[in-house]
Amino acid sequence: MDVLAGWWDDYFWGAVVVGKVFFCSLALMIIFGLLGAMAKLSNSRVAQKIAGAYTVVFRGTPEILVVLLLYFGSAVVLTAIAQVFNPEIKFVDVPPFWAGTIAISIIVGSYATETFRGAFLGVHPGSIEAARALGMSDLQTFVYVRIPEMWRLALPPFGNHMLSLVKDTALISIIGLNETMFVAKQAITVTGKPFTMYIVVGAIYLGFSTVVTLFVMGAEKFGERTTVGAK
Amino acid sequence: MSIPENRPLIQMQNVNKFFGDFQALKNVNLEVRKGERIVVCGPSGSGKSTMIRCINRLEEHTDGHIVIDGNTLTDKVKDINAVRREVGMVFQNFNLFPHMTIVKNLMIAQQLVRNTSKNDARETAMFYLERVKIPEQAQKYPIQLSGGQQQRVAIARALCMKPEIMLFDEPTSALDPEMINEVLEVMVDLAKEGMTMICVTHEMGFARSVADRIIFMDLGEIVEEAAPEEFFDNPKSERTKKFLSQILSH
Amino acid sequence: MSFDLQLIIESLPVMLMGIGITFKLLVISGVLGLLLAICLLLMRISGLWYLNIPAQIYIYVFRGTPILVQIFIVYYGLPQFESVRESIFWPILREPTGCAILALSLNTGAYVSEILRGGVLGVDKGVLEAGSALGMSAHQKFIYITTPIATRLALPAYSNDVISLLKSTALASTITIADMTGIARTIVADTYAPYEIFISLAVVYMIFTFGLQKLFGIIEGYLGQYTKRE
Repeated sequence: MDVLAGWWDDYFWGAVVVGKVFFCSLALMIIFGLLGAMAKLSNSRVAQKIAGAYTVVFRGTPEILVVLLLYFGSAVVLTAIAQVFNPEIKFVDVPPFWAGTIAISIIVGSYATETFRGAFLGVHPGSIEAARALGMSDLQTFVYVRIPEMWRLALPPFGNHMLSLVKDTALISIIGLNETMFVAKQAITVTGKPFTMYIVVGAIYLGFSTVVTLFVMGAEKFGERTTVGAK
Repeated sequence: MSIPENRPLIQMQNVNKFFGDFQALKNVNLEVRKGERIVVCGPSGSGKSTMIRCINRLEEHTDGHIVIDGNTLTDKVKDINAVRREVGMVFQNFNLFPHMTIVKNLMIAQQLVRNTSKNDARETAMFYLERVKIPEQAQKYPIQLSGGQQQRVAIARALCMKPEIMLFDEPTSALDPEMINEVLEVMVDLAKEGMTMICVTHEMGFARSVADRIIFMDLGEIVEEAAPEEFFDNPKSERTKKFLSQILSH
Repeated sequence: MSFDLQLIIESLPVMLMGIGITFKLLVISGVLGLLLAICLLLMRISGLWYLNIPAQIYIYVFRGTPILVQIFIVYYGLPQFESVRESIFWPILREPTGCAILALSLNTGAYVSEILRGGVLGVDKGVLEAGSALGMSAHQKFIYITTPIATRLALPAYSNDVISLLKSTALASTITIADMTGIARTIVADTYAPYEIFISLAVVYMIFTFGLQKLFGIIEGYLGQYTKRE
């Protein structure tokens, strides 16, 4: 265990990076998911087709491939653009943090699209009718009736999406993100203890998963207050 | 199997059943003789289903004694199986095996529990399917049958095990009105042939014409027990009177 | 920046050479994972705490950590131990393919066991009660009632997991395996053409996924015959 001494610091900062990726990708994932769901539920055939393609493409492609494509692909584009201005430039890249975060947000967002779509469809039509009958506007109905109920229905699968985000962060280490896997690699070259180092990485991720799972369980309990009646 | 006339087929003595803190059965005492037709009625939550489910150990009674045809009902698998061989049950929601054809539904228990050969099992199955008047449905799946047909199959399935006693747990409550009669007819035929039966039901017409005894339960207790004429025309307890007025007014 | 069609035409056959490895990883891990999943399931529903709890812990750990970490632990981590290097399993564990299969199996086993458990829990209790009332033993009920119904219930979620497994095989490229992704990464490193290569590879995976979905659709249709009212 003493072989880890001195590495706790680095692991800690690596974990912080994991946390940062999580929150950024969570926000983006929700945005992509909601946009996709609304596109699928809209009346526009074009929007539906685009959203349909979105879900098919990103649910059928390996995550690592998307990460690699986004990272190297954006580097190629940016380098090409930069070379227009300054032909001396050899290579411009997007920070792995952003390439990776956006990549995993897009991927998990495609699953979230289906989750949100199903949840929106699951909202009691009766509640919507009641809101209309009471004179609420479409926007008010959307905000006060549809969204809260939709969230309650979406929560269990959404919790799984959050867990996917946590775990997919490890993939970003492949393009050089300085999170825990990266730390482990460095620690291994110094200590020669790959098992120990990667176990620590696993434990850190397990910790994150646990926190997310507990949070979701708490949120589900909170959501149940509207459905579980007096016994 | 013949038993001496003075030993009841079913004996429940001082039976109590608790679900956690809630007492579903309070000091239930019941005796049923061979050939008797008992109807159990009462409001929701009165314990009627719980009581008959204790008889074939789908529920475990907390204390008291239950003896079926000389077999005392205990925790032991041997005792439970001995009882279940004698007792057939028909459920409110039919509970046919959805992934098996009708005839397989009737055959499977014979083959597994009584080790009957496939051919014998099939013969018995078709015999009882004819008894309930739907032999042509043998190769269909439950989902393709109407509710009334499914329930008749369920009755046939229980009968294939040649039970001494038949328990009916609200057999017609989940049926559309036009299908209730076809099921009641089968039950009446069964009663006429002398099958010992306990039937939890709201069908008072059936009770009046078929039952030897009607038992009224409320809040886990047996409140009143009487032959149909006395029960309907001369109820003794206030609670019975109240229940009858509610159920017979429409 | 132009889209080099010629490059795609030249590279696709090269990448497709890796499809055999992808397929091998998928099938072997899938089968081993399924066997493991059934064991874990039986442990979970056994009612015996000394089987249930270890199974729960296993599932929790393997579903709570990234598959990439698990692959690295098996491939880079296990050789740390002399006992591993001297064991009879060393020939397998020395090779990246063996390690990938091991890690993928252990991982998918955890997920599939929960999927199977979901199927088992979804079986209508009333139907099981009917089995009890007819005198069937717990054993008989599990084989003749629970298993057929649970299998059909679990199939959609299982097919999703198989597709996830397919996508996870791409991670084998991170431990030097020359599957389709591994080959693609080498080509990209040489040609600096990520779009052409990775996008065409993505299309290959999507076709593979589509094929799997169709296959499972057929199986679901066959198993679900008794659910059609006709």
